[in-house]
Amino acid sequence: MADKGVDGGRGRRSGVVNKQRGNSPQRFYVVLGLLVVVGALFIVRAARAPKVRANVTTAPITPATAEGYLMGNANAPVQIMEFADFECPACGNFAVITEPDVRNRIVNAGLASYRFFDFPLPMHKNTMAASNAAACAADQGKFWEMHDALFRNQPEWNTEATDNPKKIFLGYVKSMGINTDTWEKCFDAQTHQSRILANQAEGTRRKVQSTPTFVIGTRLIPGAMSYDVFKAYVDSAAKEAPAVAKADTTKAKSTTK
Amino acid sequence: MSRRQTLALLAVVGICIALYLTLYKVGVIGVLSCSIGSCETVNTSKWSMLLGIPIAAWGLAAYVALLLLAMVGSGESREESVPIARMLVALAGWSVLFSAWLTYLELFVIHAICIWCLTSALLWVVILAVCVVDLRAVSRAE
Repeated sequence: MADKGVDGGRGRRSGVVNKQRGNSPQRFYVVLGLLVVVGALFIVRAARAPKVRANVTTAPITPATAEGYLMGNANAPVQIMEFADFECPACGNFAVITEPDVRNRIVNAGLASYRFFDFPLPMHKNTMAASNAAACAADQGKFWEMHDALFRNQPEWNTEATDNPKKIFLGYVKSMGINTDTWEKCFDAQTHQSRILANQAEGTRRKVQSTPTFVIGTRLIPGAMSYDVFKAYVDSAAKEAPAVAKADTTKAKSTTK
Repeated sequence: MSRRQTLALLAVVGICIALYLTLYKVGVIGVLSCSIGSCETVNTSKWSMLLGIPIAAWGLAAYVALLLLAMVGSGESREESVPIARMLVALAGWSVLFSAWLTYLELFVIHAICIWCLTSALLWVVILAVCVVDLRAVSRAE
């Protein structure tokens, strides 16, 4: 503290301070304000407009009818679809932070049904394996358990963590009480590849360009969002003509695995 | 514009970069704008977290600390404060070392470059240079 006083006293006599006193604080605050505004605009724009284009599949497999993974009552007043990539961090954050509230307070309350559609992105090398792992878990009625484990533990099995995600997935399979042999046969044979590609194709058809992207009622909303914003979209969709929302989602037949 | 004011402006630039990467990491921003390198590979790697907190958030804290120090140090009575100049050099020096370690990880461990992280690392080098000039000037004035 004493230093400050001494410095302050000495500083007033120094040439450096005299030079600095000539500076206009107004100019500084104008530049500072400009930087803050430009930075804020950039961040807000980035938050609203994701730029990576989705992978458009050219696989030789003929896509089957798109099958989502349904949660809740298929005939609920509002239909929600999520297009997500298991390796995408934003999808993982949504699944871990917001989705539990969506399930408890919207889906379980009967306000809406929720369908998950795979939308694997090309830069994620392990995401297709994860989609396969989840599809094979769905065979044994454990899709959502696997969905949660995959998103919760992304850093354990993502592209950076391993070249062999199956080893990690097997750990999840065992902890869920899934028949390991059956799951492994399904995973190795990529039994549900066409189903995954169909889900992806459904997203491409709907002009999904980034993950996660939601379809709530008749609206397509890119990007993760908070529970409150999500609920507002659901409320808004509920007020719209239910028939419109129903007609929209029945274009993609869904299973209840 | 004084040296401390210049540091405050550089800190704001750094805050914007660190905030952008932090918001991506917590899921508010869906996709990083990354024309050069592979920002997502770096920011989803296991090295992108430290003690359960995103590295970008640590960077954000460092830039906010720099902004506060620079703003406090820009006050008329403190523009020649040697302790503040020393704190600025210590903060910037530590941040340069930390950024150097992160850049090493990008180049030789993760094998991917995040242009935003690299920009931040270079920014800290510039900030350190200004801090050193500031310390020398105020020490000389003493």
